[in-house]
Amino acid sequence: MGISVSVLVFTCISIIGVSGVFLITGLAGMFSLGQASFMAVGAYTSGVLVVRFGVPFPVAAVAGTLAGVLAGLLVGLPTVRLRRDYIALVTFGFGEAIIAILNNLSNITGGAMGLVGIPPLTTLPLVLLSAFFSLFFVWNFKFSKYGRQCIAIRTDELAARSMGIHGDGLKLLVFILSAGFSAYAGVLYGFYTTYVDPGLFNWTRSAEWIIMVFFGGLGSLTGAVISAILLGTLPEILRFASEWRILLYCVIVLAIINFRPKGLLGERELRIVKRKTTPETGGAV
Amino acid sequence: MSLQQLLNGLSLGSVYSIIAVGFALVFNILKFSNFSHGGVLTVTAYTGFLIATRFSFGLPLTLFFTSLAGGVLAVLIERVAFRRLRRNKSPVIFFFVSSITMGILLENLITVAFSSNFYSYPKFFQKTILEWKGFHMAVTDFWMLLISLVVLGLLMGVLYRTKLGVAIRALSMDSTTTLLMGANVDRIVVATFFVVGILGGIAGVFLGINYTLYPQLGQLIVKGFIASVIGGLGNLSGAVVGALLLGILEVILTGIEGIGSGLAPVVIFFITLVFLILRPQGIAGKIIQEKV
Repeated sequence: MGISVSVLVFTCISIIGVSGVFLITGLAGMFSLGQASFMAVGAYTSGVLVVRFGVPFPVAAVAGTLAGVLAGLLVGLPTVRLRRDYIALVTFGFGEAIIAILNNLSNITGGAMGLVGIPPLTTLPLVLLSAFFSLFFVWNFKFSKYGRQCIAIRTDELAARSMGIHGDGLKLLVFILSAGFSAYAGVLYGFYTTYVDPGLFNWTRSAEWIIMVFFGGLGSLTGAVISAILLGTLPEILRFASEWRILLYCVIVLAIINFRPKGLLGERELRIVKRKTTPETGGAV
Repeated sequence: MSLQQLLNGLSLGSVYSIIAVGFALVFNILKFSNFSHGGVLTVTAYTGFLIATRFSFGLPLTLFFTSLAGGVLAVLIERVAFRRLRRNKSPVIFFFVSSITMGILLENLITVAFSSNFYSYPKFFQKTILEWKGFHMAVTDFWMLLISLVVLGLLMGVLYRTKLGVAIRALSMDSTTTLLMGANVDRIVVATFFVVGILGGIAGVFLGINYTLYPQLGQLIVKGFIASVIGGLGNLSGAVVGALLLGILEVILTGIEGIGSGLAPVVIFFITLVFLILRPQGIAGKIIQEKV
């Protein structure tokens, strides 16, 4: 029973992270290889606040998320207006920098040994609720004006700009939002495992999230969730060693890119309630 | 800044420049950031280690065979990860995901094969320090600097003096036109990847000598990224200048009390950010823009 609860918690955390990645990669077509570092920022900020300064958990959780948002602003501001490659390269560099900071401020962060003694305050209901609200938010974002503008930017930025969409501002907004999601996922993660170390937040984790979004179909949130569950949970249950799991991922993704580039669902969404196609929503769905 | 630091910085930067150029070459012809290059670095670093220990070769032979292996590996990567995408004229996003996946795949193959143990290269030289008029230089550093410079020179020779070089440069400008001119684009791309793999192999051996061997060694590709960002994405000479600057900067920062080798990456990251704000087009000055 204990194992299945923890599998569920980790799946929900990765759903929160993946919904953030869906925002930037799935909707706006940007690649961040530093999402895991925003997660680290969230986990460490909240963890240090609680462990070292005795701040209550809700305040620390908000502070952790805000710290992630700030970090997102710092990285996003100079990069979003440039070619998309810069975002990937700079976020990768950001990841290295964060790990270096965490390793070197050992009197605060515990260094390479990690931060221990975080109280286990992440409960199953909290995680489920958070995952639900993240999905709710991202779902509505996708079908809002902003979401459609994002899709326009992803498809053809130049055309979108010439139609009067404010590209840079929107990209920055999405970048910051997704950093916040990652940071919040980090908060939940830290307060569930009660222990974090810098090695947990390397670029492979960021890439894993991108792969999940891609696997599900680039424009499909339900696809991303399904793939987060499939790729995150099944191997956990089947008890693969983590290296083999990642190897398996890679082979699957390479096969998908080569033979079914749309991913699992393509642009489609699975709906429980069939939505009426009105002129406003018809085009983007 | 002493002359000694400058010398050390240059030798470090020359290794970075080999990484950066390999990265920039692919960016030039296919217009995407090739993250699989990090995987090539890791795999070749281990290949070089195996070659050097199994056959007890010296540095030249090890470099030769490893760079060949790197070339073959890069060609394989092109075949598996990019060939079909090029045929389908897939959007850049797909190339990107494909290259990331390839990078992770290679890194984890090494993890599975060698586990996360640390290995280190055998000593190639009897004498470890060169001394000349009060300047000191590690023998390996000296050879790295020399070999890197020779390799870069050779590369420029290939790019600007041979038919293949003309073809690569043509492809970097416009692939359709190159095709219309009767060039075999597939063959050029494969040849470019072979060259990139050779560069990766050389860089891999140098990284393996400089650091201990571990599966995440390929993440040092980040030095190549930063150099490319400073130099201007896709610009070869910019990448070389950026890499040399980065090497010198790192040596200087490491020498400063309170920063050290631990926090040097952080300072460099912030310098990169500031640089991007002030001069996003890079040192080389040409920004690559999306065309209609």
